[in-house]
Amino acid sequence: MMDWTVIASGVLVISGALLTIVGAYGTLRLPDIYTRLHAASITDTLATFLVLAGLAVPSLVAGEWLIAIKLLFVLIFLWFTSPIASYSIGHAAFFAAQKPKLDHDLTDAEGGTA
Amino acid sequence: MIYGVAALGLLVAMLFAIIRALLGPTLMDRVMAVNMFGTKTVLLLAVLGYLAGRPEFLDLALVYALMNFISIIAVLKYFRYRDLGQSRVRS
Amino acid sequence: MSVGEWEALINVVLLGLLLVVTFGIIRLRNLFGVVMLAGIYSLLMAMVFTLLDAVDVAFTEAAVGAGVSTILSLGTLALIDSRREKIPFRFQFTPMLVALVTGAVLLWGMQDMPAVGTADAPNQVHVAPYYIERTPVEIDVPNIVTAVLASYRGFDTLGEVTVIFTAGIGVMMLLSSMPVIGARRRRRRNGDDQENDT
Repeated sequence: MMDWTVIASGVLVISGALLTIVGAYGTLRLPDIYTRLHAASITDTLATFLVLAGLAVPSLVAGEWLIAIKLLFVLIFLWFTSPIASYSIGHAAFFAAQKPKLDHDLTDAEGGTA
Repeated sequence: MIYGVAALGLLVAMLFAIIRALLGPTLMDRVMAVNMFGTKTVLLLAVLGYLAGRPEFLDLALVYALMNFISIIAVLKYFRYRDLGQSRVRS
Repeated sequence: MSVGEWEALINVVLLGLLLVVTFGIIRLRNLFGVVMLAGIYSLLMAMVFTLLDAVDVAFTEAAVGAGVSTILSLGTLALIDSRREKIPFRFQFTPMLVALVTGAVLLWGMQDMPAVGTADAPNQVHVAPYYIERTPVEIDVPNIVTAVLASYRGFDTLGEVTVIFTAGIGVMMLLSSMPVIGARRRRRRNGDDQENDT
């Protein structure tokens, strides 16, 4: 039962799930919207790749290439659209004049506009 | 069993996203939480398909990956322009 | 643990998350946040539907509930004052009593029904074999669900299509951004003209 496909798929999927937990916990603990976006985008890119690659390994070994191609398409769509969405959220937050939480005030240090 | 444990891990991450959507003091926190929840949904649908032995659920994951992106962009467009129709030129 | 037990556990956790989201929708003051949480609710329901092996219903729920319904609610919020919050929460005893009594009566009446999926339930013995046997003879389409929806239960589908079409027309008229129909735009344009005149 414990051949290498099960072990490889298990390692990939479990590590992807652990990474999503870490990223989601980061959005709870980090202080600001901009830092929380950093944590959330980990789950969008790397964790997605790990989970979907771990799911593709048993299908490729069993010879069902159609399912592997579907997984590849899901991965490509998520990789194209998630960073755009994260950037748009950050842009919208900046346009809504949400200042990032810093140790010092930007206007004092730079001597100009924030 | 692997897929069950991974599905439980994804559900824990979804719980954190829901807590952030409930707590988030500003609106952008909630939008970010919904976006993250959508990505988790796609992953969980794929894992549930393998758990139940029916990889046909991948079609649903494919549709949802696109719907999530479009709805988040529509929400942000609303917040930017205060209008969901064509973007008006502010004169 | 077997696959069935894992599915039951994931089902229980998903229903627990539904409870958390529902609590948040009720208690949250900001209307935009409520719209976002309603999107999360639709996503959770779509996953419950896939666990129940109803993938087409999950398609519809994900596309309509989390996509279109969120955008339509935001369009509605654009028409009213965007700073408005919900009316304050007042505890009322009689509606809660009616809801609890109705729920208890429904749960008590459910005890007499057969369990989900048993082979000797009336619909499995009488209705389902009829559809399965008569569809290739009478209608001759490969999908039995389509035959049931379009032919055997055709009046039901007619009623549903009428309701959805009427709702669609109503929503389009309310949220329309075409200058001919949208009343708010017409008012604003007339108001601007009056401002330019004076």
